[in-house]
Formats: sequence, structure tokens, C-alpha cells
Amino acid sequence: MKNEKYISVDENNDGIDRAGFLKCMAWAGTGLFCMMSGGVMKSFGMSQLIDKNIGALKKGLILPKADFTFAQISDSHIGFNKPANPDVLGTLQAAIGKINAMPTAPSFILHTGDLSHLAQADEFDTLDQAMKNAKTGKIFYVPGEHDVLNDNGKQYLQRYGKDTKGDGWYSFDYNGVHFIGLVNVVNTAEGGLGVLGNEQLEWLEKDVKGLSSSTPIIVFAHIPLWEVYPQWGWGTRDSAQALSYLKRFGSVSVLNGHIHQTLQKVEGNITFHTATSTAFPQPQPGTAPAAGPMKVPAEQLRSLLGVTSVNYVEHNHTLAITDTPLIATKETKMENQ
Amino acid sequence: MQVSRKYGVLIAMAIVVIAGIAAVPSPRKDYKNLKVLPKDISTKDLSRIMIDEFEDGLGVSCGFCHAEEKDSHKLDYASDEKPEKEIARLMMKMTLDVNEKYFQVTHPLIGDSVLSITCMTCHKGQPRPRNPE
Repeated sequence: MKNEKYISVDENNDGIDRAGFLKCMAWAGTGLFCMMSGGVMKSFGMSQLIDKNIGALKKGLILPKADFTFAQISDSHIGFNKPANPDVLGTLQAAIGKINAMPTAPSFILHTGDLSHLAQADEFDTLDQAMKNAKTGKIFYVPGEHDVLNDNGKQYLQRYGKDTKGDGWYSFDYNGVHFIGLVNVVNTAEGGLGVLGNEQLEWLEKDVKGLSSSTPIIVFAHIPLWEVYPQWGWGTRDSAQALSYLKRFGSVSVLNGHIHQTLQKVEGNITFHTATSTAFPQPQPGTAPAAGPMKVPAEQLRSLLGVTSVNYVEHNHTLAITDTPLIATKETKMENQ
Repeated sequence: MQVSRKYGVLIAMAIVVIAGIAAVPSPRKDYKNLKVLPKDISTKDLSRIMIDEFEDGLGVSCGFCHAEEKDSHKLDYASDEKPEKEIARLMMKMTLDVNEKYFQVTHPLIGDSVLSITCMTCHKGQPRPRNPE
């Protein structure tokens, strides 16, 4: 991308242009807002829904009816203080503000890891304090590799691992949807790839064994469960085996973080989605010598942590990403991205 | 009256000192194999060096230098099994030497912001520095 480490044409005043989105490399929002309706998940970037000037739902927007909603945030990196974003707490609070501005509070929030930057007690404390302000029923976590530095995740487990298995994996059911939180950061493979490990894979196989194939499945983990860019460790070595256990299900969505940008992919019945960070952007795969915090002009940071919109619609037992806009009235016309 | 004022000042000073000590991150006691980095380094400083200097500076993850435990894929941080770990030690010593000899940095420490030369100076996000163009 010539002369650009960020998307330069901003048609919607949200930091994303259409071309960038169509490349499936769009910078995404400070959080995702997800709706479950009849077993189908639809997700929207927070920035797309909330008017930043009034701190409430954009005028004229009508949200589709949903059985329930939840939000995903990721990669808060509390404790990070380098030039890419010296105020990671402020941007996390902004993401929480957007969640709180939704007309219906999400039933729960999924945080897909890297809560902290250096796995320090004070960093976890700060995150906990900030998350207490989120208006939601519960917050579910999975760890990122930054949360397990030094101690292979002992502190993380003490804080967030109650009622989990192994290194912190677990599942739960909500409104007929089966959610599975996986841990792929405690064991690592050459090149920084994530690893689930045999114990967790065996657990996963048993966990889904008794479920009907029509049960909607949502998997969340930190490192992507598909090969985004293995050269930078953006993938999970043994994810294929995990996904093989989910092939028989009609509707599977996989939510990840780690790469600090939104990418989407559909493979058979499985839809993959990675979320942005609430802290700082990273380069698009292969556009820099290595992954890492990317400094952008200060006035552009929040817009680069901007917006994405993804809708998932079930067709014939498979999921497909379609460019379905939010329902808009005459007053608010939203471009179908 | 003067005596009680003196006691008051002493008590205030003691509180400041105790609070200061409490604010310093406590060193982790169980590091088994630190040879270049200070043995009493705090977990925060050690983690910051690992992330800022090595992960970001070389574009690698922990497993680049640290070997896995024998019975699992978990990392054995104390192990010297991987040669990259010893190379990292040599590189840290070289970096400290260059800063001290050529940039007059007294008592240089890896991760210290006063260093003129860091891992990033040459590596620029690569495991092995590229030849200068």
C-alpha cells in the first residue's frame, strides 16, 4: 500500500474506506456488538452504531430484533505506554462507553485476551476497575499471550479461571447457543503460533459430542484459529483438529483477537472474525518487517481503531458474511459496505 | 510542643519511606538462571525487556529463545537448551559494552531508556539484522 500505513480515504468519517474494507483488511472498531436471532449471529462495529458527538445510538438507526446481544472487545494491553498509544486505559474506557450507549445492554461481554501488557497485578486491577463500569450481565475472558508472561498463566487463572478447565478453557450455554472459550497462548509453537494442545482438544471433542448439529456454536480464543499470517505467528498450529469437531454443526462462528485488526473469512460452515484492539493498531499482514505496535498520527489513532460492520446470515446450514447494512431510516443512510 | 512537632516530622518521614518501599515492585525470588540481567529484577522490568527489546525489537515470540518443557508445550524459561538464548546473552553484553565504551553511558542496563544503542537499532523488527543497503 503506497505511502500508507493506514486507510487514507474516509468516506464515513469513521476511519474506513470502502476499498479498504473490500480487501478484508479494514481497521475495526473499539468493540463488536453481536446479536443472536434464530441462531444466526450478526455483528456490528461499535463506531458504526454510536454517534460520537452525542454518545448514543446514531439518529434514525433501528436495530434489528434479536434474541439476545453480546459484545466483544479485545487486546486492551493495560500497562502499555509507548507512543502507539500512551493512554490505553482511555481507549478502553471509550470502548466501554460505546457499549454503555447501546439502547439494549448486552447480555454479556467477551474479552478475547491480552487484558494486560505485562501480566502485572496492577494492570489486571486497572482492567477490572474499568470493566466494572460496563453495563452488562457478565464478562467472560480468555487469556492472551501477554496475560501469561512469566508464570505460564498462574495469576490469570487465579483471577479469571474460576470454574474453568486446564489452562482456563470452558464452555457455557446461553439461549440455546453454545459458547466455547479456548486457550491457545499458554503452549506455543515455533514462530509464535498458538497451540491448543491434546488435553484441550480432547476436552473440546467431548464438550460438543452430545450437542445437536443444529446448535449454534460460537468459539472465542485469543490467537486466530485460522492461518491469517503464520510468518508472524498469526495462526494456531493445531486448530484444524479443533475445527474438525465443529464441521457437523450448521452454524459456527469463531471470534479472535491478537492481530489488532478486523479480518473475516468463511470456510464451509465456519465464519471467522478477528477483532481490533482497544489499545493500538498493528500493521496489515506482510506490510511491515514484523508485527508490533504501529504508531500513527495522534489525531488519527481513534479513527484507526474505528469501525467495521459484519453480518452473518445462515443459508442452507452454512454461514456467510454478507454486506447487510443496519436498518436505516430516511434520516440516516448507511452505505452498504 | 517542639518535641511533639519533631515526632510528627519523623513519623511523616517514616510514612513516606515506607510508602516508597511499598511502591517499588518486589523482585521475584525464584529466577533460576539469569546471567546478564540483574538477579533481583522485578517481574515487571523483566517482562518489559522481553516484550519491548526482544519481541518488538526482533519480531519474535518467547519460543524463539526459550525451550519447551520436556512433557508439554509450556515454556521452560530457565532452560538453556536453545542456542538462541545464549546468543541473546552475548548480544545483551555487546549492547551494554557499546553503550558504555562509545556512548559514555555509565552503568548501562538493558531496557533503560538512556541507552543510545538498543536491540532495535540494528534488528529493526527482524530476528537477524539485514545488511545495510
